Amino acid sequence: MAGQIRYYDGVTAAALDVTVRPSSLELVISRAGSPDVMARWPIGEIAILGDSEHEAVPPLARGDERLMVEDAELRRQIALAVPQLAKFGAPKPSPAGRVAVFGTSFAALLALFWVGIDFGSELAAPLVPYRLQARLGDSVMTELVAGHPLCTNKSGLAAINGLANRLARAADYDHPVKVTIIRGGPVNAFTLPGGQLLFYSDLIDKARDGNEVAGVLAHEIGHAVHYHSMKGLARQYGLDQLLRLITGGYSDLGTVGAGGGLLLALSNGRNFERDADATGVSLLEKLGLRADGMADFFADLQKAQPRDAASQLGIWSTHPPTAERIAATKRPPTGKPAFSDEEWAALKAVCAPARENSPVPERVPQKPLATVPTLPQAKEPPGLPPPGKR
Amino acid sequence: MTDVSVPASASAPDLTPSRPVYDGKLGELYAIYFRHLALMVLTVGWSRFWGRTRLRRYLWSHFAVLGDRFEYRGRGLELMTGFVLVLLMLGVWGGLLWVFWEYVLHERSIPGLGLIDLFTYSLFFLGIPLAFVGHYAGLRYKMTRTRWRGIRCDLGGSAWGYGFKATFLHLANGLCGQLLTPLMSVLLAQPRIGNASLGTQRFEFAGRAGDIYGRFVGYYFLNILAWIIAISIGVGAVVWGGKTLDIGEKELADFFTHITPRSILLLIGFAFALYILFGVMILPLRCWWQAYLWRYLVSRARAGQVLFASALSTRQMWGFLVLNYMIVMLTLGLGWPWVAHRTARLIAGQLWLYGAPDGGSIRQPPSRPPRFGEGLLDMFDVSGI
Repeated sequence: MAGQIRYYDGVTAAALDVTVRPSSLELVISRAGSPDVMARWPIGEIAILGDSEHEAVPPLARGDERLMVEDAELRRQIALAVPQLAKFGAPKPSPAGRVAVFGTSFAALLALFWVGIDFGSELAAPLVPYRLQARLGDSVMTELVAGHPLCTNKSGLAAINGLANRLARAADYDHPVKVTIIRGGPVNAFTLPGGQLLFYSDLIDKARDGNEVAGVLAHEIGHAVHYHSMKGLARQYGLDQLLRLITGGYSDLGTVGAGGGLLLALSNGRNFERDADATGVSLLEKLGLRADGMADFFADLQKAQPRDAASQLGIWSTHPPTAERIAATKRPPTGKPAFSDEEWAALKAVCAPARENSPVPERVPQKPLATVPTLPQAKEPPGLPPPGKR
Repeated sequence: MTDVSVPASASAPDLTPSRPVYDGKLGELYAIYFRHLALMVLTVGWSRFWGRTRLRRYLWSHFAVLGDRFEYRGRGLELMTGFVLVLLMLGVWGGLLWVFWEYVLHERSIPGLGLIDLFTYSLFFLGIPLAFVGHYAGLRYKMTRTRWRGIRCDLGGSAWGYGFKATFLHLANGLCGQLLTPLMSVLLAQPRIGNASLGTQRFEFAGRAGDIYGRFVGYYFLNILAWIIAISIGVGAVVWGGKTLDIGEKELADFFTHITPRSILLLIGFAFALYILFGVMILPLRCWWQAYLWRYLVSRARAGQVLFASALSTRQMWGFLVLNYMIVMLTLGLGWPWVAHRTARLIAGQLWLYGAPDGGSIRQPPSRPPRFGEGLLDMFDVSGI
């Protein structure tokens, strides 16, 4: 067989045009136009490098030696003559069918991955061993309270922890909940993995009554019993992986994707807040407690900050607009007070006496914790008017 | 497969011009790419080493010089091993930092600085030189897995030496307001070209920064002028537009926070205007310089009796730098095969070889190729294909 066959000897970069005579035992290679045999390749020593899908011409190789058969018909004839080299004669597959199959598979897998992230995080978050969640919550809590004075009055802490655990049990949450209170502001509260809640004392100081604090507490319990912080982490991780897969780690594209990912995370965050609001109110109602505190608290926030940050930030907000939340959580002032008078008094004084157990008194700048849901939108204390004036 | 050949006279050295030929097809490249992406999703990214290898095999084997095709003989496992080794190195580095943190810094901890911060900062500062080391090591890996006429290519020199040289030059260039760019370009091209070889046939590079400084200084000051004009036009347009359309602070805040079809259209219009402004004034100037630099670097390289030249124009460089970037960004990465295909065709169309190597005198390189590849490049830089 002659024509368009190149032979490289593997020792030098000389290229020779050759003819090849195939048999079931060997390939006999001669210089083109000459009967002299240059090389004999036993079939058992021949390798086909690559395949017709990825190589323009899959080389036949014997060690470093190469035979390049450009002509597809010649490749087919060699393959017919030597059954061991059948793959060598395979025609180039048509790209259209493969583009359709692989393109559709990719799109379907992407959609599946997306659904997996969305639903998988819902299913998987509660299944994460509680010990791991608690450890994660502890480590974040350690970071958050570092350098901040804590409120350690036992009666006050017992009051808020007692209500927190009653609410959690009402939601069939099987694990203990622990509330930690930092002295000072902002007017804010966090829920961390493992049922760890962090309150700032300014929130308690500026609340009109115990029912407002109970409303905020119920909202945070809503986050805890829905494992929102774990779900948020899982979705964020999943989204990051998805972006990496699509963009191949291309940094500029990653930046664009990260912007989209952030918007999705914020959208998820707003849904978590709506869930926590609804759950909080229903838990209070389930226990027969007054459930109007949450809406009152939001109303106070709105009065203190008429230009609602959540509304103004729109799609960039971590929380739904306050007016929407007030409308969704509005309840009549019926039911038992969430705290007894004694409990509320103790809670109001939770920071008062016990300074001896507080850690390092100086403050260090707080680290933002984007993955953990927070209740109010604004970072600065919204500056609620003192309770006496309302 | 050469598409141009002119007979040379008997007395003069053989300087027959030829160009490489690229005969890949976009559809075939897309078929490989989509399969690669589908496998990436299935394996959560771990198939990327094999996918990258398949893409390289396709691109290399569809490129031919003097009628002989290139081969790529790298393996996915080698890439993955390189990546895992770098992961282990990072693990060891993290362990060393922990020991340092726990036993040396423990009592003198710096407020606000945690172990994770220390690790991140150290990676940031180490990452810059390591990315350059990775670039060179990655180039070496690709070269040693490339064969032409059965002969393996090679890249000598030290990747670490290149990494430190590149870091120093980039730092110095930054401190000098980018005025060292020609010097840096030539000094970094020297090891990349001068240490490369096809078997025993070394490439040579004879570039000098002094040759290209004149053009660069012209570009440098024209670039400053273009920025001043572009910014003036941009600011003028925003102020004029704001007044004409009566857009205040509140409308502007609403515009970015409450996305509506109108705001999306306006944003697209704004981005297009910005693109036109920079596309017309800044980027062509940059492409003018880059095309000139490319032509210079190519023309100062040779491999024995083979000389190289390029006629790459500013418009073609614009297509390479700007249009390719836009394609990748606007298709969210799905346009990558198109970009690779365009680039391969550009190289094939604009790279000229004069003369042919004496094949009989070129032998396999004596050095052994690296066993694993590209781990550092994968970790610290965008490795692409």
